[in-house]
This record gives sequence, C-alpha cells and structure tokens, in this order.
Amino acid sequence: MSIFRILTSSIGKKVLMAITGLLLSFFMVFHLFGNLFLFVSEQAFNSYVEKLNYFKPLVRVAEFFLLLFVFSHAYTGISLWWSNRKAKQKSGSYSKTNTSQAARTASITGSFVFIFLITHWATFWYKFNFEHPESYYQVVLGNEVGFGNPFFSVFYIVAIALLGYHLKHGFLSAGQTLGIKGTKYEKIYVGVSSLFWLWIPLGFISIPLWFGFIKQVVSP
Amino acid sequence: MNINLKIWRQKDKKDKGRFKAYKLQNIDPNISFLEMLDILNNRLIKEKLEPVAFDHDCREGICGSCGFMINGQPHGPQKATTVCQLHMRSFNDEDEILLEPFRANSFKVVKDLSVDRTAFDRIISSGGFVSVDTGKAEEANSTVIEKSNADEAFLSAACIGCGACVAACKNSSAMLFTAAKVSQFTLLPQGEPEQKERVQSMVATMDEEGFGACTNTGACSAECPKEISQENIARLNREFIKSQL
Repeated sequence: MSIFRILTSSIGKKVLMAITGLLLSFFMVFHLFGNLFLFVSEQAFNSYVEKLNYFKPLVRVAEFFLLLFVFSHAYTGISLWWSNRKAKQKSGSYSKTNTSQAARTASITGSFVFIFLITHWATFWYKFNFEHPESYYQVVLGNEVGFGNPFFSVFYIVAIALLGYHLKHGFLSAGQTLGIKGTKYEKIYVGVSSLFWLWIPLGFISIPLWFGFIKQVVSP
Repeated sequence: MNINLKIWRQKDKKDKGRFKAYKLQNIDPNISFLEMLDILNNRLIKEKLEPVAFDHDCREGICGSCGFMINGQPHGPQKATTVCQLHMRSFNDEDEILLEPFRANSFKVVKDLSVDRTAFDRIISSGGFVSVDTGKAEEANSTVIEKSNADEAFLSAACIGCGACVAACKNSSAMLFTAAKVSQFTLLPQGEPEQKERVQSMVATMDEEGFGACTNTGACSAECPKEISQENIARLNREFIKSQL
C-alpha cells in the first residue's frame, strides 16, 4: 500500500493525528520547563531565553516541525470531521449514553486551542523574536500582552483548561489509535496520560494565576 | 399497560419520512417488544393500513436481523440486549416510545424501521473469511491455541453484525464491526496467513462504503448488544499499522 493510500485511509489519518498530537504533547513538557523559570527570578527567566537565542538555528528547525505538527494535526482533524459529517444523517437521535463529553467535544476544544495558539504566536512569540525586549520577564508579566492584563490571564487560563480537556480525550484516544489498549503497556500509558491532561496544564495555569491575580510583580 | 408509540414511517428510499403516533392499550408487560409491534401491525392490517416494516428473524438475539432506535438508543434501554429480547416490562404504563431506523448514510432506509445493511456484507466479502486449507475437524481440535486467545476470538466472533455500533456512533463509524470481524481471525492461527491482505482490504472497503472514522468515544461498545469491546478497535489499528510496515 502506498504512503498516499495509508494517509488517506481513515485509520491512517487517525494514526497521523495521534502521532502529531503526542509529539505536540511532549513539547509541552519542554515549554513548561522554561516557563517555570518565571517563579525563580527575572534574571533566571531572561537568561534562559537568552540561552535559547544562542541555539537559534536549532530552535527555528524545531519551530518549523512544531508548526508542521500543528497543521498536520489540524488538517487530519478537519478532514476526519468532514468525512464523519458526510457519513452521518442529519436527522435522527443519537446515543450519548456512556460516552464522555471530552470525546464528543474534542473538535470544538481543538478549534479553540488553535485560536489560542494564533494569539500566542502573535503576542509572546512575536515580541520575543522580533521586538528584542530588554526583559522577556517584563513582557510575560506586563500589562500589554502579558499576565498583568486580567483579560489575557483569564483568556490564557480558559484556553489551557480547554487544552487539558482536549488532551483528556486526545491522549487516551491516541493510545487507542496506536493499538496500546488491551496490551501490557495500557496501565502505564493511562497513568502517564494524567501528567499531560492534568498536571502539565495545571503547571501552565499556575503562572497567570500567581502573577496575574495573587502576586502582580510588574506595575502598570 | 398502555403505551404511546411514535414511529418513523417512510415508504421507500426516496420518501422523506415522518413520525406517526399510535396508541396501544392493554399490552401485556411480559410480551416482547417485537410482539408488541406484531399486535400493532395486526391492528393496522385489519384497518387496511400499511403495517410497520421492521427486520427480524430468529427473535432469540443471535441472528442480528432486528434492530432500530428506541428513544435514541439502538435496541432500546436494556444493556446487552437485542430488541427482540427486550420486553415491555422495561417500560412504564403510558410511556411515550420513539422508534426510528438506524441512521447512517451507509444504511439507507428501505422502509419504515428497516435499513439496508448490505454494506456490512461487502466489508465481510472483501476479506472476512479464511480461504487457506485449515483441514478437517480433527485438525481444528488438535491445533494448539492459547486459552486467552481462543476466549478473545470467541468474544469477537459474538458480533452479530446488527449495525447498532454504526447507529450509536456520532460519526456513523463501522470500526467496531470491522474490528470484531478482523479480530476473530487475527487471534487464531488459521487467520494468520491472510492477515495482512484481510485488514487492508476490509479497512479500504469500510472507507469506500462511506462509514465515518472512529473518534474513540466508545458509544459503539456501550450500546452493542453483544458487548464487543473497544480492545477490538485497538487490535484493528495495531494490525493495520503492522500491515503497512
């Protein structure tokens, strides 16, 4: 079977969606690791970002692949949603019993996460890469596009919560798509999944919660 | 008991269809759901009206012929039960019961509650069989098969192909059916030689027939009258990936 036929088959698309979704989930670990320097000090966070700037070509390659994963994930998601829409009759009642809300709303939460990503790139990512601020710490915690602005903090918290909800279904679904369910690895996989849908999102949320509402460090 | 039925009436594939209300009185709670429909049909025939079309055959829960939506659930409210094994005692006096056919673009309505499920037959004929020589009954009995595999294969083979999984799924996916049919062969040595072609061909036919893709909501297993597990879908995915490597 050609690679084209694999990628156009329903299972092939799901496999691509699962792999890209998992790779993006693993990236969240690195991202959160960097973000947590905000709790250490202004200097620690700024020097971490400066170190990343030192590896800029490598970071650019990584960013290219991350963008590729995001678009592949979104493309397969939209493509599956479209073919599923065609398969379903518009009239009639469907069974909602014993299925999770997270599974049924994955396309909606995913769409919201995509909108969040665009705003994330347009604000933090753009400012970090093209405006070369004196202090990256001040950008993140400031009131222009950062957590000093309650609107951005609330938007960020809601978006990350929805990302967690998206992953609550997505991570386990990826395990099912890759055939892990029913094997000896299932228990480990299910255990690890809570790290991605609960603990890592909570880690991200802790930053706007602390710096936006509990201890504002950047004066307006 | 008295019941108020609202039944989907559709003359043929082209007709738009509509719900029609029927009231039945003094129904014995211990009769089966299909017997209740028989009573309704006898009355309709006497009144020279068109009886309600619905599929049925064995009425023992093993053939897979019957099946329609009862109040939005395939085969009705009782878990692990086909509609022919459902009894009126599962409902209350004066209940309103909504009956519709299984809804999916791959299952066109033939008439009323009867749908065309030949798409399942085409999935089976594309690979759901063993064409290698497996010997006689003696050879089958002397072939050593791990107990857990034999049990799993048996559970997968319990799928009666009724189509409830497709009707329950928000994507009208036939993954559970296809997965069960692939699994029952995958787990046995007789299925091994044709495994690769089987899984590729059955998945390709499933897609060509216009069924949706699985988004792992689990509605299919929850509503399956034979409780076919989600592990079958994971196994189908595994076998599909393996067949490409």
